[in-house]
Amino acid sequence: MSQERIKVLLAKKKIDVHGRGTKLIARELRDAGMEVVYFRFGVVEEIAEAALQEDVDVVAVSIMTSGQMQVARELIPALKERGMTDVLVIMGGIIPEVDFEPLRELGVHRCFPPGLPGGVVADYIRENVGTATLA
Amino acid sequence: MKFELSDKFEAAKETWAARRARYADRLRPAKTLSGLPVKTVYTPEDLADSDLEEMPGAYPFTRGLHPDGYALTPWMQQMVFGYGTIEETRQKMEKMVAEGMEGYFGHKVFNTVYDIPCMYGIDADHPEAKGNIGQCGVHMSTGDDYDELIRGWDLETTNFSMITGDNCLPALALLAAAVERRGEPLHKLHGNSMNWYPRIAVQDIPSWEPKWGYALMIDLIKWAKDNAPAWNPANIFMYGLSEAGATPVQELAYGLSWGKSIIDAGLEAGLAPDDFIGRLSFQIGCTVNLFEEVAKFRAHRRMWAKICKEAGVTKPSNMHARVHVHTSGYVLTQQQLMNNNARITLQALAAVLGGVQSIHTCSYDEAVGVPTEESHRTALRTQQILMLESGVRDVADPLGGSYYVEKLTDEMEAAAWEIYEELEASGGYRRGIETGEIKRNIDNASYEMKKRINSGDLPVVGVNRYVSDQLENYEPFRIDEAIEDKARARLEAYRAKRDQAAVDEALDKVREACQALKDGTGPLMPALVEAARKGATNGEMMVPMREAFGWYVSE
Repeated sequence: MSQERIKVLLAKKKIDVHGRGTKLIARELRDAGMEVVYFRFGVVEEIAEAALQEDVDVVAVSIMTSGQMQVARELIPALKERGMTDVLVIMGGIIPEVDFEPLRELGVHRCFPPGLPGGVVADYIRENVGTATLA
Repeated sequence: MKFELSDKFEAAKETWAARRARYADRLRPAKTLSGLPVKTVYTPEDLADSDLEEMPGAYPFTRGLHPDGYALTPWMQQMVFGYGTIEETRQKMEKMVAEGMEGYFGHKVFNTVYDIPCMYGIDADHPEAKGNIGQCGVHMSTGDDYDELIRGWDLETTNFSMITGDNCLPALALLAAAVERRGEPLHKLHGNSMNWYPRIAVQDIPSWEPKWGYALMIDLIKWAKDNAPAWNPANIFMYGLSEAGATPVQELAYGLSWGKSIIDAGLEAGLAPDDFIGRLSFQIGCTVNLFEEVAKFRAHRRMWAKICKEAGVTKPSNMHARVHVHTSGYVLTQQQLMNNNARITLQALAAVLGGVQSIHTCSYDEAVGVPTEESHRTALRTQQILMLESGVRDVADPLGGSYYVEKLTDEMEAAAWEIYEELEASGGYRRGIETGEIKRNIDNASYEMKKRINSGDLPVVGVNRYVSDQLENYEPFRIDEAIEDKARARLEAYRAKRDQAAVDEALDKVREACQALKDGTGPLMPALVEAARKGATNGEMMVPMREAFGWYVSE
């Protein structure tokens, strides 16, 4: 994995106007040498379909106007259905810390609070990509 | 300002220079957020070219719109609220009134935010609405919802400010139909349509094609002028620019250019300057950079007055830049949440010292989610403490005459004109939407700021200073997911009781009116109002509009 460029699908809901954090993290992950596909989804199924088509290593979902639990509940099974059990799934944005553990139980590997340096996220991805499973 | 250098001042300056000589070269040069250099001391010499012979309430209104500032009536406390269905939001409205939230002269002000499905124009039964119904705003899509919104409120002393997205026209049509059902004339209606189409320049969301986006804005402005003349038909959403990453100077420049683009579109459509420009208003952001923000509000009033005058406005009050401030949410941190109360207090203080007309104070927990009852009340109380305990409302433009603030006002104005003139010369804001120039510049400013925060060059307490590893595990306000079923049930019940044939016919008329608007042969708003009367929903009215006006994806 370390020799290849890590490919990240950065998903954000189409109808959400708040794009600052998403665009920043996209740029910061690119700065860290990753390939980022910025993807706007309508329904959650589309994230999994795009992840499959783009053959990404990481699915990152940016949340600004809630819905994180619904997204996770549908996303993890949708990825598994497509045989994408080795993809790293992360979330970030306006997500209460108290949701981090329930999201982890649903299969989201890691959640990040807003405003962190993108390097922190990039380091996490580098350390965990390829080793994570959606069991 | 005329200033004679006296011997006394020269002597004082010499003493000053002598006292700082040993360390002066070690001082780190400071800058405003916008990158303007800041000196450690300002003196009368800095104001040699400034025009200080101004009074509040007189053109160009640098010192405020009103002769006595807030003495006659204080700013409007316009807290944003809205969640769940109208039933939950209606309870919240009543609660806010009980908490003392007031507009001018004790009027009621309801700054109601829609959820993102409504803003985008889809009803609760649309698959893409899932997860967002009633979450970060109220879900209002039917005639019943709007009847409940206005129930019992006196229209002449109540301001309905509707924070819509592209559903701006259907929302006003639904409100108008509700007023009619109550048997009251539309001219009693007070409040605001956001009419924020130009936000497409920075906000990544599918919307109308630029040409039609402006045609729709003007259609609403014309309808309001003829039917609800006290209605504020368009708001210039500078907050959207600064929250996307614009510096305060960029916010000024692009915001005023946005305003100018509405003026241009109105004049092109045959409106007279004094017939619509005075009803435009602003929503502006406010960071914790106190003096820069005060200077921004002062420069903004003066610049807008000049733009209006140049556009042919003759009545002074029609040159008023009426400003609602939404304290910046971007500056709030999820880390050490309570610190945000200090930030919000500074932001609100800057807005008041800047002389704005209306304020929304964010709640300290908005970096985690939707505010709790307690945090929302504390945000309102922050305004009320400023209003009643601090003495800041007693004197108009209290920082007027400050060497620093006057100089900074002039410098921000000059820096903003530079960007503004350049954009105007290359086709203005409308062209800037299409070229992506505005978005590129603002995205780049956002990225530069983030790099400064990451490196620690721009201090953010709790983020890059005094960092704690401990999770706070704050429990935010929760809107139960069951609200989605409730919203769908309300929608179904509404649809079941209406005359479907009449709705279909009215929506066909909307489709025809959309085409007429494109052909320049007729308006759209009357057909939307008629569709609302017949029972069409927010989402249903948006279908023919989307078909007609394109669905411009701007990334």
